[in-house]
Amino acid sequence: MASLRELQASFAAALRDASVPCAVLPRENLSIYRNNAAISFRTALGLSFPVLRRRVGDDYFRELAGRYRRQHPSRSGDLHWVGRDFAAFLAADLHGTEYAWLADLARLEWSREQAAVGTMHAAISVDALARFAPEQLEHLAFTLQPSLRLHASDFPIFTIWAANQTDNAPPVDQFLAGECGLVRTRVDGVEVRRLEPRVFSYLSALSAGAPLGEAVSTAGLDQSALVQALGFVFHEALVCAVALKVARPAS
Amino acid sequence: MARLESRGVRPGPIPACAGIGLRSVHHQDLLNERPAVGWIEAHTENYFHEGGAAVRALERARADYPLSLHGVGLGLGSVDGVDREHLARVRHAIARFEPALVSEHACWGHSGGEFFNDLLPLPYTDEAVELLARQVGEAQNALGTRLLIENVSAYVAFEHSRLHEWEFLTAVADLSGCGLLLDVNNVYVSSKNLGLDARAFIEGLPEGSVGEIHLAGHSRNGAVLIDDHGSHVCDEVWQLYRLAIARFDATPTLIEWDTNIPALSTLVAESQRADSMLGELRGLAA
Repeated sequence: MASLRELQASFAAALRDASVPCAVLPRENLSIYRNNAAISFRTALGLSFPVLRRRVGDDYFRELAGRYRRQHPSRSGDLHWVGRDFAAFLAADLHGTEYAWLADLARLEWSREQAAVGTMHAAISVDALARFAPEQLEHLAFTLQPSLRLHASDFPIFTIWAANQTDNAPPVDQFLAGECGLVRTRVDGVEVRRLEPRVFSYLSALSAGAPLGEAVSTAGLDQSALVQALGFVFHEALVCAVALKVARPAS
Repeated sequence: MARLESRGVRPGPIPACAGIGLRSVHHQDLLNERPAVGWIEAHTENYFHEGGAAVRALERARADYPLSLHGVGLGLGSVDGVDREHLARVRHAIARFEPALVSEHACWGHSGGEFFNDLLPLPYTDEAVELLARQVGEAQNALGTRLLIENVSAYVAFEHSRLHEWEFLTAVADLSGCGLLLDVNNVYVSSKNLGLDARAFIEGLPEGSVGEIHLAGHSRNGAVLIDDHGSHVCDEVWQLYRLAIARFDATPTLIEWDTNIPALSTLVAESQRADSMLGELRGLAA
């Protein structure tokens, strides 16, 4: 008699491929389980990428979800994770096509999905800087909100995202100029916000651990803008910790 | 609609009356209207995240209603074993929300690293009894609580099955020490799909083995009944329910609705129907 391991393996194989035999009756009812798995997967994916689904329509979304699932089947009993590899899949699958921009949109939506279930950590106030001398400011490094995600795209993904929050939104020309911005958890929701490129590059540098002076230079901001740039991250409650980053002496 | 008075402390055990399955579309209505239902049940996997609107809503609802957490993702009968990470998340949810009951299903769900995110049926064999009982026992140890294990609806039966489903469940409960969650609609759906006797199922489970009952609607696709939780409980299932509560004594009873979800007041009204049947039973017993 077949072992339980063999029975589950043949059931699983029959769910993947209708031509594989499996010792159940009525056999044709296996299609109910086959459809359930595909529908659960596609529905969960659609909930994580609502704007993308709206933009491509249900038929093409179903096709994308099917191709994606064959390469990246669900790896968890928790369906919330099925979209984890979707942006990377789209980047490879749609490379060089007129739909290449969907990968960047998917990255933005996945960040939004993560931020929606994240927590906002306590932000420190600008008063924390009082213990540093003015000449030390440029050497300060910041720990930013862990939910902060920064996105830059060659396509206008923030405009597309904002314009497609309801069904039947008018299309946005995806060949407008590229955009950058942030996604993060707020106390009672999520913030998705387009940023001016220099502010984006400043935040990206800070987020990568660069001290303030270096981040300001990287962003192409004048050093006189340092205090203003500093004020921005505190005003936006983005800073969770601050530390003096001493440059290593040249050897 | 009658309103629940806030008690200010986290309510305790699940009372032997009707409750409703809490779905995210009803979070705000439940918090605003505070309908007088005996308890609520939430799908554990929907409250795994650290933050977000769903966990905030459940935290608030939890303050006023006894809570049951009902898992759908552990796949306790999978030969590949129980996903440790998933189990740790369930444990975290239990510590956070302090449910009075925790339940899962007599099913499997993953094979070769692929999860089907469905409640797949087991063959009713001694080998499957041993595996499910062992893994239910492991989960109970890891979670620090006794589980109620639910019978699933089935669209196919394994040719290898040697036991009746109720014999299978009874043996799993005996070996693992778990209780049973009797889904009466699932009994009905499986009996119609597979040509089985629903009354024999209910009469076959030992008295005292059932700690909770589920009720829901189903749909029909040709000759097959689909367990979609998308409509009212049908008359035949209410009749089986009457049989079940007489046999298992007054038992906490949940109304579940997962597709075509109506207004919260419709779920509350359906729960009142279960409550009135429980009341009739108590009247007969008095």
